[in-house]
Amino acid sequence: MHSRRVVITGMGAITPLGHSVKELYANQLEGRSGAGPIFRFDGRTFPTNFASQVKDFDLARHVRDPGRFKESGLNTKFALAAAKQALADAHLLDNSKVDRTTIGVYLGSGEGSHDFPNLTLSLALSCPADGFKVDPTEFYKHSLRTFGAAHEYEMEMHTTSGHVAAEYDLQGPNYTCQTACAASGQAVGEALELIRRGEAEAVLTGGSHSMIHPFGVTGFNLLTTLSMRNHEPTKASRPFDLNRDGFVLGEGAGMVVLEELEHARKRKAPIYAELVGYGTTADAYRVTDSHPDGRGAIACIKWALKDAGLRPTDIDYVNAHGTSTQVNDRAETIAIKDVFGEYAYQLPVSSSKSMLGHLICAAGVVELITSVETIRNGVMVPTINYETPDPDCDLDYVPNRAREKKVNRALSNSFGFGGQNVSLIVSRFAD
Amino acid sequence: MAAAVRRVVFTGLGVLTPIGSDPDTYFAALCDRKSGVRRLSFADPLALGCQVGGEIPEFKPNNVITNKEHRKGFKMMARTVQMGLVAATMAFRDARLEVGQTDPERAGVEFGAGMIASELDDLGRASRVSLVGDGPVSLAAWGERGIKDVPPLWMLKYLPNMPSCHVSITLDLRGPSNTITASDAASLLALGEAYRILQRDVADVFVVGGTESKMNPLSQTRHNLFQQLSRRTDDPTKAHRPFDRDRDGSVLGEAAGGFVLEELEHAKKRGARIYAELVGYACGFDRARDGLVMAKVIRTALQRAGVRADEVDHVNAQGLATDRSDPWEAKAIRDVFGPKTPVWAIKGNMGSAGAAAGAVELAGSILALSRGQLPPTLNCDSRDPACPIAVHIDGVRPVTKPYAVKLNFTDKGQVGAVVVRRWEG
Repeated sequence: MHSRRVVITGMGAITPLGHSVKELYANQLEGRSGAGPIFRFDGRTFPTNFASQVKDFDLARHVRDPGRFKESGLNTKFALAAAKQALADAHLLDNSKVDRTTIGVYLGSGEGSHDFPNLTLSLALSCPADGFKVDPTEFYKHSLRTFGAAHEYEMEMHTTSGHVAAEYDLQGPNYTCQTACAASGQAVGEALELIRRGEAEAVLTGGSHSMIHPFGVTGFNLLTTLSMRNHEPTKASRPFDLNRDGFVLGEGAGMVVLEELEHARKRKAPIYAELVGYGTTADAYRVTDSHPDGRGAIACIKWALKDAGLRPTDIDYVNAHGTSTQVNDRAETIAIKDVFGEYAYQLPVSSSKSMLGHLICAAGVVELITSVETIRNGVMVPTINYETPDPDCDLDYVPNRAREKKVNRALSNSFGFGGQNVSLIVSRFAD
Repeated sequence: MAAAVRRVVFTGLGVLTPIGSDPDTYFAALCDRKSGVRRLSFADPLALGCQVGGEIPEFKPNNVITNKEHRKGFKMMARTVQMGLVAATMAFRDARLEVGQTDPERAGVEFGAGMIASELDDLGRASRVSLVGDGPVSLAAWGERGIKDVPPLWMLKYLPNMPSCHVSITLDLRGPSNTITASDAASLLALGEAYRILQRDVADVFVVGGTESKMNPLSQTRHNLFQQLSRRTDDPTKAHRPFDRDRDGSVLGEAAGGFVLEELEHAKKRGARIYAELVGYACGFDRARDGLVMAKVIRTALQRAGVRADEVDHVNAQGLATDRSDPWEAKAIRDVFGPKTPVWAIKGNMGSAGAAAGAVELAGSILALSRGQLPPTLNCDSRDPACPIAVHIDGVRPVTKPYAVKLNFTDKGQVGAVVVRRWEG
């Protein structure tokens, strides 16, 4: 159907459940949760005081001379580490036999984090308690003196894909997109198109993000999208369960190498799976809520099926967006039922977010990697914390325990704030 | 590369710039060598290293967005987001499209955007009430009390994908939607991606563009710290000097540009007016920052367009006016085009609008091609020998060839180049 087929030849992951694809998948099969009290900052008094964090991360284990990146945000550090794993896996690290101008980078990655102490202090000192109107002149005085230039620069979103491309000598198309929670799914989809259209032979794609900082938690808490189950963090992310109360904020990075099939074959690269379908749509409804009838999500999944030339019954497994918010899980269930009809009740749907939390920009690709591992190993990851069925969510969510099934084709959904929808279909590779 | 059977044309333009907020005024200002750079007025800039900038003098979104339902959303939008929505809406109207007239599922949106800075007052009170003595701000107090003083929809006001999302909602565009955050290259990369999507036959119409405003104190502080900005205060209109020997950095600006990109047959069928055709696009990463990959990107864009370098009327350059950027760019342009092809840079007139720059600058070239006039580059008074290219500086020059090339890139090395063709029916 597409004249240039695209396969996955490398994968890497830095996540709350491990610093490799192997650990990420194994821990999900065990139904482990990555959630715990926030240690990135003192968040004890915040409405939500827990998150799903990457533990024991040390950039020195991944790159030479890590001091070069000391001003970079966690997003960039995670990205450098996951990218190195994926490129090494694909035998593309320090490989001068491949024309480096034909290898691109496409990341769905977020910004760095604001210098909370100096920003808030600059604001506080320039904001008189009568009236609370910030005096910009005072703000300039304090902020210019205290902000670090390198830190501020490293917050800019293009620096992450720039560092990755510079570090690993990738001189092809270089993109960064930001479509909130759909970003890395979208990056993978558009990277697929770059290769299909011949603009690159291989693309390192995926995403990286950390919003586990005071402003991130503030923002999500104010939107009332985070779970507030502070007394039991590991039970908080409970997608499709009746008593779900929001998502658990996560962080991390996932990277895959997409490559044109013949290019991969010629250099005998490992082939983990084939990426066969991509759909993307906008809800065009509201920035605050997804469409209640799943309008955009339905169109998106159908589109991915059409792109792959598949019927709904060709899909064996769905790795859901499944955030554990009331609205998402209901709308996603409606969308799956609309597209798959009666078959929806035979189709296992699970949510990695029940264990990993929500990696925001990095979520889509880490879930795609999980889908690839599901195909390779024949075991579907569970939706943990599923205790009380929700009458509106009546599908098979692979509750609480991993389950064996031969999966040939998996669908992975990502939906973002503002009504951004992405669906990817990955298939067992066969000639 | 597969043969591009689906041709893509520009059928609508919308611009918001410091020198004009409709295509006619904007283009006339460019021809008349007008500058939109002046001493910053939104807040006293005395403490800043660079005290001048390109501000849009009177931005009134209500003049364009008249629907009351849509206006309600303004309070949820940062200035950058409002500007993007307005530019997109103007482009949509300029293309004589109406909501519901085209299949919404086959209509997409793609914008270039950057980090959108919080307004200080959204965080001021929260910071103040969490202050302990002379500082610092206590996280414990912020979590307990401060957080309640931040507006509930604060985060949504500043997400970079909000321009695209509000455009998709307001204009009912339900197809692909993406936001590219590649700094100064963002809107060209967004345009290139929309072009690719139209070619692959999953959409017929795209609203595409870029938006960015640095006219707020937090952006000013941040960019003054990490960007090379001009220290000239004597005459603000002379501050941003692309390819000039005496350049000393950029000037921050703000702008939004929107286009309607449309598949040719779709445009013809509805009798749309066509400004220009998008015939080539390429992008890459100039890792060595020596212009070699940049030159290769330009050559690839020309090759995909089937155009020779000597058929190009002018190159619309980035012209960032920093020490490092201009020679880097000039080297690539010289490598592809030699010493004679006219080079035009618009930032001298209005400063650098970051993620929006590619869109409004490309709009300049599209207008130049369609009107047959190439405006001059402002403030390149003595060409820098380190930039051995033919910067066009003297008066309005007749357009003599059918193609223009637009180039943008980031300080890290992300490069995008597009080739547009004058429309001759």
